[in-house]
Amino acid sequence: MANITKKVSWSSRGDESGGGERTPLLNGSEEVRYTRQVGLLSGEGGMFHIGRLSTVDLEEDMTSDESSQGHHVSMSSIDGVKVCVCVFQSLDYDNSENQLFLEEERRMSFLGFKCLEISRWVICGLIGFLTGLIACCIDIAVENLAGVKYYVVKQNIEKFTEVGGLSISLILWAVLNSAFVMVGAVIVAFFEPGAAGSGIPQIKCYLNGVKIPRVVRLKTLVVKVCGVICSVAGGLAVGKEGPMIHSGAVVAAGVSQGRSTSLKKDFKIFEYFRRDTEKRDFVSAGAAAGVSAAFGAPVGGVLFSLEEGASFWNQMLTWRIFFASMISTFTLNFFLSIYNNKPGDLSSPGLINFGRFESDSVAYNLYEIPLFIVMGAAGGLLGALFNILNYWLTIFRIRYVHRPCLQVMEAMLVAAVTATVSFAMIYFSNDCQPLGPDQSEDYPLQLFCADGEYNSMATAFFNTPERSVRSLFHNPPGSYNPLTLSLFTLTYFFLACWTYGLTVSAGVFIPSLLIGAAWGRLFGILLAAITPNGSVWAVPGKYALMGAAAQLGGIVRMTLSLTVIMVEATGNVTYGLPIMLVLLTAKIVGDYFVEGLYDIHIKLQSVPFLHLEAPATSHWLTAREVMGAPVTCFNRIEKVGTIVDVLSNTSTNHNGFPVIVPVLGKICGLILRSQLIVLLKHKVFVELARSRLTQRKLQLKDFRDAYPRFPPIQSIHVSQDERECMMDLTEFMNPTPYTVPQETSLPRVFKLFRALGLRHLVVVDSENRVVGLVTRKDLARYHLGKHGLEEMQLAQT
Amino acid sequence: MYIFQVTALLIALLYYGNAQTSTVAVNPTILGSELSADGLKQLAAIVAPQSPVFHPSRGSYFSLNLLSAFPEDLEVSDYCVELLAIFGQRYSTYVNCLVSAARPVKVCQNCYGSYDNLMDIYTNISSDQMGPGNVSCRDSLLRSDRLMLVFLLYNNMEDIWTGSECNSCVSLGLHSLTNDTLYFMATLNQSLRCFEKFQQGNHSALCKECKATYRGLNELYSRMEKNRTLCIDIEDSMNMTRRLWSKNFNCSFPRAENVPVIAVSSFMLFLPIIFYLSSFLHSEQKKRKLIHPKRAKSNTSLVNIQDRLS
Repeated sequence: MANITKKVSWSSRGDESGGGERTPLLNGSEEVRYTRQVGLLSGEGGMFHIGRLSTVDLEEDMTSDESSQGHHVSMSSIDGVKVCVCVFQSLDYDNSENQLFLEEERRMSFLGFKCLEISRWVICGLIGFLTGLIACCIDIAVENLAGVKYYVVKQNIEKFTEVGGLSISLILWAVLNSAFVMVGAVIVAFFEPGAAGSGIPQIKCYLNGVKIPRVVRLKTLVVKVCGVICSVAGGLAVGKEGPMIHSGAVVAAGVSQGRSTSLKKDFKIFEYFRRDTEKRDFVSAGAAAGVSAAFGAPVGGVLFSLEEGASFWNQMLTWRIFFASMISTFTLNFFLSIYNNKPGDLSSPGLINFGRFESDSVAYNLYEIPLFIVMGAAGGLLGALFNILNYWLTIFRIRYVHRPCLQVMEAMLVAAVTATVSFAMIYFSNDCQPLGPDQSEDYPLQLFCADGEYNSMATAFFNTPERSVRSLFHNPPGSYNPLTLSLFTLTYFFLACWTYGLTVSAGVFIPSLLIGAAWGRLFGILLAAITPNGSVWAVPGKYALMGAAAQLGGIVRMTLSLTVIMVEATGNVTYGLPIMLVLLTAKIVGDYFVEGLYDIHIKLQSVPFLHLEAPATSHWLTAREVMGAPVTCFNRIEKVGTIVDVLSNTSTNHNGFPVIVPVLGKICGLILRSQLIVLLKHKVFVELARSRLTQRKLQLKDFRDAYPRFPPIQSIHVSQDERECMMDLTEFMNPTPYTVPQETSLPRVFKLFRALGLRHLVVVDSENRVVGLVTRKDLARYHLGKHGLEEMQLAQT
Repeated sequence: MYIFQVTALLIALLYYGNAQTSTVAVNPTILGSELSADGLKQLAAIVAPQSPVFHPSRGSYFSLNLLSAFPEDLEVSDYCVELLAIFGQRYSTYVNCLVSAARPVKVCQNCYGSYDNLMDIYTNISSDQMGPGNVSCRDSLLRSDRLMLVFLLYNNMEDIWTGSECNSCVSLGLHSLTNDTLYFMATLNQSLRCFEKFQQGNHSALCKECKATYRGLNELYSRMEKNRTLCIDIEDSMNMTRRLWSKNFNCSFPRAENVPVIAVSSFMLFLPIIFYLSSFLHSEQKKRKLIHPKRAKSNTSLVNIQDRLS
């Protein structure tokens, strides 16, 4: 049953005028189907293997297909693996240069353009400010909640160490953890599932041009912020850095629109920016501001946006994004300094503070570089292992743990188990260290240690992850013994792997850093032990940093931006080279086994994501084979009834319609569903315009007011009389859509999509007649698998 | 003349900058006063000995002795020499005291008196009040040369004093120990006496009998820690006592409840297994509707593909 007997269906319908974006055909009659067993091809280096996992339950697939003759919708138990899902719409980054647009541009004065430019800067400043403020709130809330929790548990443990009954402390800890996590999971699972996880995959998709439903809503932001506070305070193996990036992006999307649809409040400002292109620019600024607030790394933030959303880019935008980043880290800094009663002291730039590596002992030498590379390779291996385990776990979750109440229960269980494992580790640890004079341990637990000493395992487990990372980096040599570290690494690795993908909002940065820092420090200690005078140069803190970089690089596979983020977060430029080498090695080694964690999750969500390049061996595919055809087209002057029928056909949820010259069939424009809906809503009919001469002319503003939540076609009432009216689309359609000839190769089409951020690409023949339409999903279906080019199935929901 | 004055002023300013960076600990008000025109002249005079002409004379004590005396205004006055001698005396007293009180640490309680004396004489030297004969020893003793030995010596002692945080144990005028410290010492002695009493024989008796006093001591210590009234003496004695208690007498808490902890932990670890198993068995798998997209007339393309493959 391996990868054989996978049907590939090719279908076409002569009479149907459907087409456009997605084309499930429901009531066809003269259906021509070509069904073929790909198994035949596999011997010949087959092209259409749809991965192993998607071939489960083939029997069912067959029967349902047979029972629904002419009905190209079949049920299958494919779990988001190698499937493209139709709920995802594309964003429209290509500006529609219709007549309204040209008119508006004509009306706008030189001063108006200047004002726009200035307001872009103002918005970027606002984005930075608000993102920094949110980061500050998260930080303070987490500090306090976790502080209260650890204080209570600590008091309890101290009490029960003396009189006996430590299992009660264990239960208390587990219950507190679960309670926090329950709150976090409930709001995510029941109110806004889009806020789950770190949000980086979603933002990656958004910048790539996929409109993930509800990803940049105010509600998502609120749930995200509350959720991350709960999950970090709940002691899960998570960080608050990833969600910051999502929060920044939501802030950007909200601020740049000058209104909140959720709150039904319109400030009547920034109306010009109410379209996808402008919004995307601001969202990339928001993501950068988020990174910058999370790590205190403004340049890293800019590079993150560049690396993750680089299909569009210009220099002025870079400069603006940098501005937003700087403002964000400055704001966080400023408000934290006020909170810490040191107003004006701007020395805590990020949510996570790696502390400073400044003394002479942390300098590195040439002979250490091979060691760093070895660490990078180890990080790549461990990262790949992490990703594979998480991949399996996520598939299991998608299949079996998909009901919200189950998801909440799972999160609570993970929280309880995390507390239990931590407690058991601390309880059975014999590693006692003397209390330092500077009280670097925030919640020292004595337990069975001698008076004046603390349990060293507790510094790693009985603490928020950020602080654990910092103590691994900076505690003096000898603060941890190797056994403690190896046990910690092992448990935390599995805990973190288990935690990522739960229905709570939580990031993976900090746990990765923590795992890496633990084994890196272990490496440093062992190195110092086995080499003569190793204790002089093998400073554990330095190796902890390299280990952290390696592990993080091995899991998320970011390159340039991660290097800069690490360099900025440590504030030490001299570590640039080793960190770069470590990340490079980690990426190479990791990519050999499996892709990065974010890409895995993007794939599992079945998002039509366009990677940097088209699949390597796809030049033989032409637009003709890729495109959807035939296409639903409209005439330049179309009957309202036809339009309403096409739009309300639930089975063909098309979004873009080529406009053609009647009879000849030559293309003369492209119109979007959203535009048509606005037109229908305002009843822009030829007859009405004729009878009512005073009618206000529709402006671009009317389209913008409806953006981004255009009403569904069902909410628009069109009377029987009106159905007979005609609608003139000339003024509103995009008169110059991009078109390609049928013979264009897939990579060429791909490049157009990627570089221009297209949504629809019309395929025309030599007579300029519309023959097909290529959309993002048609391209994203193809990917390079183990056996050459593979094609994915499309699925609803 | 005017030009000369300006040059002198500039040199003086330069030197002033240097002096300020190197003698941070010197009373800032004194430095501030030097900004007056009067002070500037004085500074210009100080610049002179630093100039290369005088360099060879800095070599050794011998060569200095061989030279005939410096002109009047550069020589150190008798009064200052006297002060210096007293400084040396008190300095060695203090250092002796420190060394003898090094282990177990008693530097604050034993040596605060001699430190007080040392501080007095140094204040005397560094004050800008004129002594008899209208001489100030501040400049001649403290800042006439690159090494600034007197300042350096005193500075070291001051560092030791601040490092040991003796100020929190000694009353403000350095005349006596604070009441807190005395009280702590008393409590400590109480504990130690108790230890001594039960030292013979079974330690478990000691753990039981001395627990109250020891805990009282511990609580007092943590209170003092919070108030920041700890000095090295108290910290060290507390450390020793704790080590006695935990290591020598073995009175720390035993790890006694392995069984309940293991039981509760394994129960907790068992829960997710049940959860996943039950959701695996009971929850129905999510189904997906597959859609087969329309493609262009595929006869040709299918043939094409097969052609290309073969």
